[in-house]
Amino acid sequence: MGYVTAEAPTRTELSTCVQCGLCLPHCPTFRLTGMETASPRGRLMAMSAVLEGVAEVDDVFAEIIDFCLGCRACEAVCPGLTPYGRLLEGARAEIAVQHPTRARRLRRWLLGRALGNRTAVAAATAVAAVAQRTGVGRILPGPIRRSFAGLRRLEGRERWVGRRAEPVGEVRGTVALLAGCVMEPWFPQVHEATVGLLRRAGYRVVVPRRQTCCGALAAHDGHAADAHRMARRNVVAFAGADLVVADAAGCSAHLKEYGHWAGEAGAGLAERVRDVTELVAELIEGDLLPRLALPRGPVAVQDPCHLRHAQRIIEAPRTILRAAGYEPVEIDVDAMCCGAAGTYAILRPDTSLELGERKADQIRTSGSTIVASANPGCEMQLRSLLGPAYRVAHPVELYWEALVESTGRIRSEVGG
Amino acid sequence: MTLQTDLVGLLGPERVLSSDLDRFLYGKDAGVYRGEVTVVALPETTDEVQEIVRIAARHDVPVIPRGAGTGLAGGAVPLGGGVIVATTRMNQIFEIDAANRCAWVGPGVINLDLSRAAAPYGLHFAPDPSSQSACTIGGNVANNSGGPHCLAEGSTVNHVLGLEVVLADGEVLVTGGKAPDPVGLDLRGIIVGSEGTLGIVTKALVRLTPNPPDVRTLLITFDSVEDAAATVSGIIAAGLVPAALEMMDQRMTEAVENWLHAGLPTDAAAILLAEVTGDTPAVEAEADVIRQVARGHRAREIRVARDEAERTLLWKGRKSAFGAVAQAAPDYYLHDTVVPRTKLVETMREVYEIGERYGLTMMNVFHAGDGNLHPLMMFDASEPGALDRVHAAADELVELCVRNGGVLSGEHGIGKEKRDLMHLMFTPVDLDAQARLKEVFDPDGRFNPEKILPAGSRCFDFGRPVPEGAWI
Repeated sequence: MGYVTAEAPTRTELSTCVQCGLCLPHCPTFRLTGMETASPRGRLMAMSAVLEGVAEVDDVFAEIIDFCLGCRACEAVCPGLTPYGRLLEGARAEIAVQHPTRARRLRRWLLGRALGNRTAVAAATAVAAVAQRTGVGRILPGPIRRSFAGLRRLEGRERWVGRRAEPVGEVRGTVALLAGCVMEPWFPQVHEATVGLLRRAGYRVVVPRRQTCCGALAAHDGHAADAHRMARRNVVAFAGADLVVADAAGCSAHLKEYGHWAGEAGAGLAERVRDVTELVAELIEGDLLPRLALPRGPVAVQDPCHLRHAQRIIEAPRTILRAAGYEPVEIDVDAMCCGAAGTYAILRPDTSLELGERKADQIRTSGSTIVASANPGCEMQLRSLLGPAYRVAHPVELYWEALVESTGRIRSEVGG
Repeated sequence: MTLQTDLVGLLGPERVLSSDLDRFLYGKDAGVYRGEVTVVALPETTDEVQEIVRIAARHDVPVIPRGAGTGLAGGAVPLGGGVIVATTRMNQIFEIDAANRCAWVGPGVINLDLSRAAAPYGLHFAPDPSSQSACTIGGNVANNSGGPHCLAEGSTVNHVLGLEVVLADGEVLVTGGKAPDPVGLDLRGIIVGSEGTLGIVTKALVRLTPNPPDVRTLLITFDSVEDAAATVSGIIAAGLVPAALEMMDQRMTEAVENWLHAGLPTDAAAILLAEVTGDTPAVEAEADVIRQVARGHRAREIRVARDEAERTLLWKGRKSAFGAVAQAAPDYYLHDTVVPRTKLVETMREVYEIGERYGLTMMNVFHAGDGNLHPLMMFDASEPGALDRVHAAADELVELCVRNGGVLSGEHGIGKEKRDLMHLMFTPVDLDAQARLKEVFDPDGRFNPEKILPAGSRCFDFGRPVPEGAWI
């Protein structure tokens, strides 16, 4: 039967893979299993097999494709420039249409609908906050309990959506901030740091009310119609801003692919997207944000896959940490996935845990008790595995704290 | 009991792959051939490999060992069904003996992982095929793999001290060892390069080489392929054996630069990557000789890698070349032949001519120092007749190289690819001797059948006349 949707992997895309196999050692699931069927090359060949009519979109195909973390480490090392991330999403879209399980239908509702709905997320957050305070979280099933344990302490902070913050000094331009599905309620300190830093560097920060979840999680899981809808909505919401910034690596990576998800207008937006680490590092390099002199000790750098592999941003978080006075400590030359991988931590807890423990061990041997991670999923995974003796924070958050401590808060920090 | 249930009984369901799609994915390696897989087994120990071989014998099916599947000659492609024994999970480094500069490793250990593990001791595994970040030691042993640095260091056979091999009857042979001069018949040399046709290597004792104290890597740009080729001969003629001497032509450089962004000169007709290693005064002196020779052959620009990061980047470009060609066409056929380096200039000219004659875009990237050519022919397999044209051109390339005094294969192995061209190099007597050796190790033809030796290699094989003068 082959492929049936417009998202399907195409012959042109698949033909960029010449099966050289250079991706294999970079693939976490291949490393764990040693199986071709769990490797990028194998998965691409499976996609080709369906295209050629040799295989069907069935259980076996779904297992091969769904075992992938979507870390895109393969893509970063592919000399043939195979668009693996795009193909993976295409293959998953086919599975969602041709071979949906009940769990996938439920996920469609969750990732495609609920995440984009601020009221729903707020309600869930309120329940989670109560659970955190009462210890009810202990009764949750294993993998969810583990993710839950990775949450920051939920507190009612000021919300940014619908607001704007005026720059300090001369206006350099306007940045639209992606509030994100869970960044705003679960990681408000990161937004605070992002807004604070951008204001100080001369940017007006707007957080448009009409925006929604970026759609990354829906896209990764194959819920293409939802991902398209969310992308189109955000394109409208972010029109007019000079730059669009996200402070979660998974989101910025996805926004940069809006050319696929929202056509020409999406491509226009994608060009203006920056991950916050990218922009802040640039501002530091340009002396628009200061390098602090006070030494603060070592910080282990965990590279989120969608920052390092999908966007090839490697130096930026290190530049930021150095500017804050920290000494970045390398923990993993291969920058292998920590196993969080969005919903993967809950869907495939065993594999997720195996990779997570690997990463946690690397951090434990690094000698640093602070870990910088620029993505919420990784942060939660690491926090749940490392426990309270370690602090896991976003690099801009560490920088902002250091900056505030050294220079004092700027008056009227919070704009109108 | 079926073959599959026997294997599942041994390995458990997780390590036996038998669905149609799973088998399809194991049906090919990095080359152009596709075969038919009966079942895939993923052993972790020598015992399990022994038992797999016995099970396969009981069911009378072939056994085909496979590492990372980065081979290009079809060595790991099963031609008539069979059990794929994937060694990827046998990836343990059992011992690094820094004092004796050697290591016992499983066949599934990735080449680069071994060098990384040896790095704290100031050692590395010298053979460095382009696929070194992915390929396994087992595959290197099977194919007697080379790589850029084999120019000075020699290929895998020079770096294998001992082997543990599961034989056709399931027994375990151990040959060689740490002793510098082992006694008895040297079976290592027979197993290395046998492409899994004699047994399955389950452990290897490999030599580790000290990291050089200093290194210079030069990127030399030329306006003609001939000048680059002449420089190669000139450097060797000047009495130098650089650690590596690699050439890339313009099309290849463009493809690599397009993804790597290493600042490679994409307007140059050819670039040479030359590396010298040793003590600082020696590398300085040798780098100077290379500069002089290159200038004498109209080198346009000579750039020296400033630091290890730049050096790594240049090598990454060289070693990812094969994958990068995907940008130029959907399929490629990568060849591997050797000519004496004194014949490089004229051979290169003819290589491009063959490409033109068959209407195939020819891209070149190769180990110029030892005359090991890797012409790549770009094509689209979905175009009718394209693959036939490629095969015809490929055969002609081999004939050209052999005619110019070269050999069939530099490092990729014979596999299926060059099996039927063996007669270009070997007399019936040569082939018969090889076939008889194969029979001693593998009387039932269980291991990787139909590889290396063409049908009729045995001189009394049906349908083939007894060669004149052969003794029966």
